[in-house]
Amino acid sequence: MPYLSLPYLTVALALLLGGVLASWKASHPRRVAAVAAALAFIAFLAAACESRAAGQGSLYDPWLPFFQADGLNAVPMAFYAALTLAVMVLAPRRDAAGQAPAGMLLISLSVQTAYAAASWVPMVAGWWLSCLPFALGMFGSQRETRLTIGIRLASCIALTAAVLLLSASSTTGFAKYGTLWSLFFIIAVVCRKGLFPLHAGVVHAFEHGPLLPKALLFNGHLGVVLVARAQLASPPETAHHAFEFLSMAAVATVGIASLRAFAESKPRRLLAFLCISQASFMLAGITSTNIEGVTGALTHWLLVAAASTGLICIVRALEVRVSSTEDPLMHLGLAAKAPRLATFFLICGLALVGLPGTLGYCAEELIFHGMLQSHLSAGIVLLVATVFNAINLLRLYNTLFLGVLPKHVINIPDALPRERWPLTACILFLVLGGLMPRVVIGWRSDAANSIEKALSAAGGSGHH
Amino acid sequence: MPVQTLIPLLIATPGALFLGLSLVWLLGGAVTERAMAWITRMAYSLLVLLAFIIGWRMSAQGFHPVRVLLGDWFTVGHYGYPLSLLVDGLSLPLVGLTVVLVSIVAYFSVRYLHRDPGFLRFFLLLHLFTFGALLVFTADSLDLLIVGWETIAITSVLLVGFFQYRPEPVRNALWVFASYRVADLFMLLAIFLAHHWFGTTSWKGLLGAEGAPGIHGAVVAVLLVIAAAGKSSQGPFWGWLPRAMEGPTPSSAVFYGAISIHTGAYLLLRIEPLIRHSWIATGLIIITGLATAFLGTLVHRTCADAKTSLAYAAQTQIGLIFVEIGLGWSTFALIHLVSHAMLRTLQFLRTPSMLRDYHRVHAAAGGRFSPTGSHYESLLPQSVQVWLYRLALGRGFYDAVVERWIVAPVQAVAHWLALFEPKASAKKSSDH
Repeated sequence: MPYLSLPYLTVALALLLGGVLASWKASHPRRVAAVAAALAFIAFLAAACESRAAGQGSLYDPWLPFFQADGLNAVPMAFYAALTLAVMVLAPRRDAAGQAPAGMLLISLSVQTAYAAASWVPMVAGWWLSCLPFALGMFGSQRETRLTIGIRLASCIALTAAVLLLSASSTTGFAKYGTLWSLFFIIAVVCRKGLFPLHAGVVHAFEHGPLLPKALLFNGHLGVVLVARAQLASPPETAHHAFEFLSMAAVATVGIASLRAFAESKPRRLLAFLCISQASFMLAGITSTNIEGVTGALTHWLLVAAASTGLICIVRALEVRVSSTEDPLMHLGLAAKAPRLATFFLICGLALVGLPGTLGYCAEELIFHGMLQSHLSAGIVLLVATVFNAINLLRLYNTLFLGVLPKHVINIPDALPRERWPLTACILFLVLGGLMPRVVIGWRSDAANSIEKALSAAGGSGHH
Repeated sequence: MPVQTLIPLLIATPGALFLGLSLVWLLGGAVTERAMAWITRMAYSLLVLLAFIIGWRMSAQGFHPVRVLLGDWFTVGHYGYPLSLLVDGLSLPLVGLTVVLVSIVAYFSVRYLHRDPGFLRFFLLLHLFTFGALLVFTADSLDLLIVGWETIAITSVLLVGFFQYRPEPVRNALWVFASYRVADLFMLLAIFLAHHWFGTTSWKGLLGAEGAPGIHGAVVAVLLVIAAAGKSSQGPFWGWLPRAMEGPTPSSAVFYGAISIHTGAYLLLRIEPLIRHSWIATGLIIITGLATAFLGTLVHRTCADAKTSLAYAAQTQIGLIFVEIGLGWSTFALIHLVSHAMLRTLQFLRTPSMLRDYHRVHAAAGGRFSPTGSHYESLLPQSVQVWLYRLALGRGFYDAVVERWIVAPVQAVAHWLALFEPKASAKKSSDH
């Protein structure tokens, strides 16, 4: 069994856990949490570099061999660690006080545990762990709705049931439990990803309660991780029906969320629909079962994580500056006072909806191509949805940044240095990734090839 | 330096300017008005020089097409995205036209926008636009063309909403953006279908001897005609151009008088061999062009402000260019296109001062200027005149039709989709 040269994964996860414990009662929790996040990022980056150098195949952690780094998870782990660090630095003062930084690190720990899992058990543990910060009320008085909590719990229970069935089937044969497994698997993914008709859960989560922890949780994209892992495990024929169903559900979600957003004016809800629609692209791509679609989906994963985190952080930064951003009655005209935040928002948004010259264009191009190959009509739905999403993005931008500045907004600061640098790094990734997509696509090609091979071996490729 | 090196340099310069200056500003640096003006003047002088050298060298070689292969942008499986530029007899005049007109507009804008709060923003967008336009005219495939195409679109929209503190430009920018996106959908479809059916979107693959005839070729041609109509404000997309006049005058000149509005016609000229294979595409171009030219000239006569009037006049001329392309008069259409772009830019730039001059002369003449026009109208029966006048005054009732038959149904469906969400979603959040 090949191992990483050093226990990077154990160290990184231990650093996150240490950060959670140290920042829980610290007098400067943000500082402690940011240091832990930065060190964890370095460790994950080292694991990613080693995994890339090793090529295809998995490198197990020498201390805890139920964690691994491979083509699928190595880059997202480093990327997610960078996002955690960025959110920690960007967070407004009121969101980085008390136990909130520890809570955000705990979310990061849970997602990274699920990413790094070499078997189903740590993955399930990661899913359950992600519910903990909200259950413990680590984000102060900001409460979630019962709908959000219920959907998240349902996904954890469904995944646990699916994994139990899978372990039972190893002794009795998959055919016996195949249909039931598929059902639980689909429920787990639909609940976690917020696919139609459960997209309302994600909208609720965005609308109510703390926004930045939701950004971290949403951008874990654990539903996609689960599907990708299931595909890599050379699934039997029953699983292909689950993938096909998820593919259609993802396409429906892309279309419905993009259309539904037209009836929204609250920034958080509009942003939620935009993020749901664009994030569902990756599930559509990964279930398209061809190399273009899968590569596009894996690239889109990084894009959505970066762009939507940028957008969410900017919306939150505006909310703490101007109270009327929560439910604006008219255009807020904030670009006059915060032109840099407006520019960051626009670039992140346009990348998210696939403006040529950004990484979003390349990722979507591959997904469209993959979908058109496997399901022509579904590919057309995705194309139409990008049109709607782009219009919705501009509506949101107009509402927040254009128009007459309200009289009560006398002076607000533009992007502060601690906001400016992470956002600049984010847009540099989005733009340079778009100008040189071969680099980013290269990071994902190993995983895409492995998934495609696994599906071909199971007779899934090209079965449409 | 060989032409193969000069062409990428010409295109990359404005793009690099945009990226570099934007990054400096985003990181907190200050780019002064004087510095921006100097950089712009130097850069556009260089661009004109480069375009001149390219043209001169190509003329010395007998205007043979020059292809610049820049390798693959990315390749996944069987799907490749090759980067290739093409400068030939069709693109060279438009490249030259772009750099010359944008340079004139840039020089003009340094004074026109002096001390405007959006001075830096305007020039950054102008650089991005130049990059997009040059890319459109030199792209060797539909894949690359759409990169420039959408870059032009987004800069256009941001310049329509340039005076962002007024509600009207903001509303109109959204309208323009929506029109562009809907039209671009057809181009995206054409690109993906071309990949799907022919395995390529390069001009050589689509338009060459073994090109794309048959029903598939016709479908791609029709989709591209609709996309071109969207970009040139023709046919069903003709409502956005007058709304786009909210931007500053120099941007109106370069976008809606000169370059952006003509990119649709350029696309049609580029894909002419593909269009010739399809009588539906040919017919569509002629009908679209004629209908737009007729409505444009009608509405143009009832416009109360100079810029909107010029916008409809431009729309009319481009309608005629479409008809010329449909009839196969390509060289004539190209000459019409270039001359119209130059004339219209001059008109747009001259309009503000011309109105002032007119009012001064009018006052000096004691208000005794007699109105002009109303020659051809008088040949029509009174009832038809009234009907046409109402049609023109209501701008073809375009806005009402779009609002009632497109926007309202989409919003109704959007509201209906809330059915799948629990009522609690309407509850106002009070916890953050």
